[in-house]
Amino acid sequence: MNKFVFFGGKGGVGKTTVSCAYGLKCVREGLKTLVVSTDPAHSTSDVFDQQFGDEPKPVEGYDDLWAMELDPDEEVQRHMREIKRTMSDQVSPSIVNEIDRQIELAHRTPGAYEAALFDRFIDVMRDSEAYDRVVFDTSPTGGTLRLLALPDFLEGWIDRLVSKREKSIDLYEKAAIGDREARRKTATDPIIARLTERKEMFEFAGRTLREDAAFFLVLNPDELSIHETRRAVEDLSEYDLGVEGLVINKIAPEPDEGEEGTGATYLRERYRTERERIERIETEFAQPVVARIGQRVEEVKGDLLADVADELDIEVAPEVSV
Amino acid sequence: MTLADRIEVYRERIEEWLHGLYHGMIEHPAFELIEKEAEDTEDTFMFACFADAFGIPSPVSYYTAELLPYLGEEFQQWERRMWDRESLIERKGQQYHF
Repeated sequence: MNKFVFFGGKGGVGKTTVSCAYGLKCVREGLKTLVVSTDPAHSTSDVFDQQFGDEPKPVEGYDDLWAMELDPDEEVQRHMREIKRTMSDQVSPSIVNEIDRQIELAHRTPGAYEAALFDRFIDVMRDSEAYDRVVFDTSPTGGTLRLLALPDFLEGWIDRLVSKREKSIDLYEKAAIGDREARRKTATDPIIARLTERKEMFEFAGRTLREDAAFFLVLNPDELSIHETRRAVEDLSEYDLGVEGLVINKIAPEPDEGEEGTGATYLRERYRTERERIERIETEFAQPVVARIGQRVEEVKGDLLADVADELDIEVAPEVSV
Repeated sequence: MTLADRIEVYRERIEEWLHGLYHGMIEHPAFELIEKEAEDTEDTFMFACFADAFGIPSPVSYYTAELLPYLGEEFQQWERRMWDRESLIERKGQQYHF
């Protein structure tokens, strides 16, 4: 099993429950585990009845289980403060205002939130030596998928930027033939250095996601969530990321024989259609269904979480399958 | 001052003039041409980095904003150039000194 495990899926299907349950399962088998929530509507705190923040914190009541909740907004602010600080060291005060505007603009674009989240992803993956397993409870499908596709896309973009920059520097150097001093030099150019640094970061992310990460999709037995899952599988395979399995969550229980009230009839009917859908999921998807989790009346936490963990048929041992 | 000295001074002056002439007619325009070309390439670079300064949303502006502290001066000049530039022909035309 890979070190990084991602759970994705449509909003509200129970990714957090499944991620936390899987984290618990890993811990039970002796792995030090970190559960990372990237969903802006953080619900890890609800599952464990404990507040988490941007730094990993031990989960009370469980040994070796840690959790953290990423806050992209905070990260965007931090990134912006950092740039402004570097700027006041580098640039003369007369133009700081002009540039400030551009910096603020860049941190307000729709992509900023994703970029910040992605940066945090990479940070977490980089500083994960202390853990045997890192479980990502991701935000709903669309956002996360775009996030995982970023490394490839950004690497290409940065490549183009670097080659443009190199070309203009090369021209400056050519213009400086003789004893004239070139306006810029490749070796000392801070721009190329910055861009290369970024590129290495994206390469690391791309490599880790392809080689050391497993993806599971959580879905409910309803049409919408099946459609969304199908799209997600296709998108992920487009980025060379294979989905290892599906988790079907919130399956309605079957009423006992002989129960004939309105509620029981409704439930029987519902159970029957869900049965069909589950069969369809099993036959239509190439990925194995690794868990079928029944719907619970109460919020899943505490002992219930342990029950759910038992229902997950996902390999935990680190040496199995890569 | 001997005759030899005077010839020496005269030759130096001629040499300086010739070099000035060469620089003005051939060397400098050539440097300028290449530098202008470099600036043009740099403009494309800047645009690729900060397209959002002109209202075009850019997915990488979050990352390229990190470059701004090092590009401060250039960024401002570039922005001014981009707003002011009338046409590509005008810009290319600047290279010729009639």
